[in-house]
Amino acid sequence: MPAPAATYERVVYKNPSEHHYMKVCLEFQDHHGIGLNTAQFKQLLITALKDLFGEVGAALPLDVLTYDEKTLSAILRICSSGMVRLWSSLTLLGSYKGKKCAFRVIQVSPFLLALSGNSRELVLD
Amino acid sequence: MATLRRLGEVPRHLLVCEKSNFGHEKSRHRHLVETHCHNYRVSFLIPECGILPKELKDLVMATGPYYFVKNLPLHELITYEFINTFVKKGSCYALTYNTNIDEDNTVALLPNGKLILSLDKDTYEETGLQGRPSQYSGRKAMKFSAEEATMMSYFSKYQIQEHQPKVVLRTLKDLQCPGLQSSELEGQPEAACSAGQLFDWLGAVFCNVDLNNEPDSFISTYCCPQPSTVVAKAYLCTITGFILPEKILGLLEHLCHYFDEPKLAPWVTLSVQGFADSPVSWRENEHGFRKGGEHLYNFVIFNNQDYWLQMAVGANDHCPP
Repeated sequence: MPAPAATYERVVYKNPSEHHYMKVCLEFQDHHGIGLNTAQFKQLLITALKDLFGEVGAALPLDVLTYDEKTLSAILRICSSGMVRLWSSLTLLGSYKGKKCAFRVIQVSPFLLALSGNSRELVLD
Repeated sequence: MATLRRLGEVPRHLLVCEKSNFGHEKSRHRHLVETHCHNYRVSFLIPECGILPKELKDLVMATGPYYFVKNLPLHELITYEFINTFVKKGSCYALTYNTNIDEDNTVALLPNGKLILSLDKDTYEETGLQGRPSQYSGRKAMKFSAEEATMMSYFSKYQIQEHQPKVVLRTLKDLQCPGLQSSELEGQPEAACSAGQLFDWLGAVFCNVDLNNEPDSFISTYCCPQPSTVVAKAYLCTITGFILPEKILGLLEHLCHYFDEPKLAPWVTLSVQGFADSPVSWRENEHGFRKGGEHLYNFVIFNNQDYWLQMAVGANDHCPP
């Protein structure tokens, strides 16, 4: 016997996401900046958190979901309660190994699906 | 203490999960697709599929065109001629290009003929129109979509360009897919994943995230929700541009019929992302950017005609209808 058709059900979740996702890009002032591999990039993020929020900040559960070494861009996943701490740490990070750099936050969302496209990047002319 | 609490706060976001069946008389799938006007990106994922069926490919290639008009004075949109030629025929959509809803003046034309103007305080006072303050706090370039092919000749005195949506087709190999049961929206421990877990997983697939990390990995601990199975191949198609709800409905209806013949796949998904800078989300609900400007929805179409629909919005949005 085939299963009966699903009955209608609707559930509204308020603030369901345990994580927030950020698409970021690291820019060096000198374009021939140093390259970073994924582990070095993650270490830089942890250092940024530690500089501003100490050991507690550095211990926040943070994942580098994707990383492109050529463009130094990544998608990060942070627990929602740590999002403000991470974002402010990225804002205040000014250098890496003595070279001036800055993090650009391109997109932020509690939904990873929203980061798969950025309508502000649509170029028509 | 209050500062510490504020450090842990994030803007409010909502995820609405619905389950129903396409055969139900009162199924809302048509209405929800039709009333979400400004669509930037449409993607579908078909597990256990290596080659796209021809009819589906033809539908994908026919999602355009849309038109880009530079330096269009707004009064052209309220002329008698424009209204008669395009607006009255229905299916005319427009949105200002390269305007940020949280910073710039933005204009949108809806298919019901309403022109929505989202203006800053000075512009609003200059126009002398009567409106209401935004709930969340020109001569412009506009992008249009209309069924009529006469758009090019109508705006020939302005710089008008025709664009086709960009289509990207990919085959994924050895993809871990969550196990789902259509009747269990909230999942079942050890037996089925929830709608929320699927929604996250879909984002990971579209963003090319590695789904197979160890829990003690330094870089990332992200993994596919359990229970899951590995499918040998899956087809992923993404269409980007200014896409009409009618075209999306065509894709949805075709995907419903994907299971008319027996298929290995237990379900397929269709995801739609709205323009972050549109002044409206569903119907005429005001939409704002705040931190992300997201307003998106996703269908999970099961092989028994059941479906799940997830609708997600950010802080400066009403709850989806």
